[in-house]
Amino acid sequence: MQELILGLRDGSLFALVALGLVIIHRTTGVLNFAYGHMGMFAVYITFTCFAILNMPLLIAVSIGLLFAVALGLVTERFLLRPIRHLSHSAMLIITLGMLMTLEGMALWIWGQNVQQLPSLITGKPLMINLGETFLVIPQQDLLIFILTGVIVFGTFFYLKYTKVGLAVRASSQNEEAAKLMGIPVGGVYGFAWGFGVALSALAAILAAPKTYVEPNMMLNLQIQGLTAAVLGGFDSLPGAIVGGLLLGVIEQYVGAFISAELKLAFALIIIIVLLLIKPSGLLGKSSQRRV
Amino acid sequence: MLKLDNVKLKYGYVTALKGISLEVEEGSITCLLGANGAGKSTTLRAVSGLNEIFEGTITFKDEEIQNRAPDDIVKRGIIHCPEGRKLFPDLSVYENLLAGAYVIKDKELIKEKLEEAYSLFPILSERKRQLAGTLSGGEQQMLAVGRSLMADPDLLMLDEPSLGLAPIIFEQIFDTLLELKKKGKTIFLVEQNANAALHISDYAYIIEVGSITLEGNAKELLTNEKVKEKYLGG
Repeated sequence: MQELILGLRDGSLFALVALGLVIIHRTTGVLNFAYGHMGMFAVYITFTCFAILNMPLLIAVSIGLLFAVALGLVTERFLLRPIRHLSHSAMLIITLGMLMTLEGMALWIWGQNVQQLPSLITGKPLMINLGETFLVIPQQDLLIFILTGVIVFGTFFYLKYTKVGLAVRASSQNEEAAKLMGIPVGGVYGFAWGFGVALSALAAILAAPKTYVEPNMMLNLQIQGLTAAVLGGFDSLPGAIVGGLLLGVIEQYVGAFISAELKLAFALIIIIVLLLIKPSGLLGKSSQRRV
Repeated sequence: MLKLDNVKLKYGYVTALKGISLEVEEGSITCLLGANGAGKSTTLRAVSGLNEIFEGTITFKDEEIQNRAPDDIVKRGIIHCPEGRKLFPDLSVYENLLAGAYVIKDKELIKEKLEEAYSLFPILSERKRQLAGTLSGGEQQMLAVGRSLMADPDLLMLDEPSLGLAPIIFEQIFDTLLELKKKGKTIFLVEQNANAALHISDYAYIIEVGSITLEGNAKELLTNEKVKEKYLGG
């Protein structure tokens, strides 16, 4: 029982990370290797605004998120769109280059020291009585859980019922046909990147009190988010959520019954096994192939 | 209404269009006939902005439109219904039609266009909640044509609407084109099925390896010996 609750707690953060990865991938077809690091860089911006420039925390967070949106838009417009016609792997290499560049720049600007960012909300933690043990859930963890839920449903309804959502779905299914309908596909891709990177930044800001602020703070979350996305089928929004929660619970049970050291390794094992047995994931469609 | 003047286009090092000049008159059905790979689809792609041309001009309603972005071309009133339908397979029939009306801001007009599409192809109305990918070939082609009409274009360019369809179905599609012409739409039709296309067209061009080799009144081309031999099966 304890593992289940803690698993769902961890899993909602994985789901949030996975959601942004999935939105970028299913809209533009690009797997963003720099995804986590883009969030990390935004956290450093938030940290600078808050701890160095002494801005209120919420303003600092907003600036960090806006920075993430801008970073996503600029990356798509100036680094990826010009080479979109070349090949898929060319775009992957660009995101890989971004990963290393962002890490290097973070080290160069903010140095090696590990920094701290406080929780967004503090207060009396939630106590759950499980008979033999007490579970203590800090308010920040509850916030992550609720925010993830709100964002997931919000995104789902936005994509399903708005004109922009229709343009996003149409562009992801057939880029050329979308262009011929007058949909500005470039703008749609920009939207996906801006929104996706903002989700990475949000996840990073929420995780920062635990991971601390340092250049590799998002490394594990990037892998866990990727695993969650693969589990769910990679192009399915509900899949990303189910995959995230499932991975959180699996990790907790692995930690409790096998070894805490194996938690992250297990994520990678899941990716390999799943790709071998059911490449389309739990909720993905095997028929869907981008052309 | 649409005029191409000495349009040249390259794919890498291969010149696909070697100086195409043609004209589509307002209110007419004009067809472009030719074999596979002759440059028919490429001509349409040049007009709709999917591919860049490196020489020549494309004029629409007296304005030069070559090498503009596809969404700009759509806003000017040209819709290109691509070869192989290119539907959005995981959107419903209704959503596909709605996507076709992307450039239209007026909600009432969208409703009106939707009703028009449903009355033109009643089967689409029956299947509006169904995913486009699950439709039959004929229904998909109807949806493709219906979707193209949603933006209320002045010029409709169709790329091989008869491809892969049973004769009875494509006759229905071609009848629809005649109906659209009566309503004042201008149609630019690209076809391999020369016989059927010439029967509904006013004027026709024949393209061979990137150049226009013959043009004329469609009824006259039907009896032209060269056309008969090469495109009408003797």
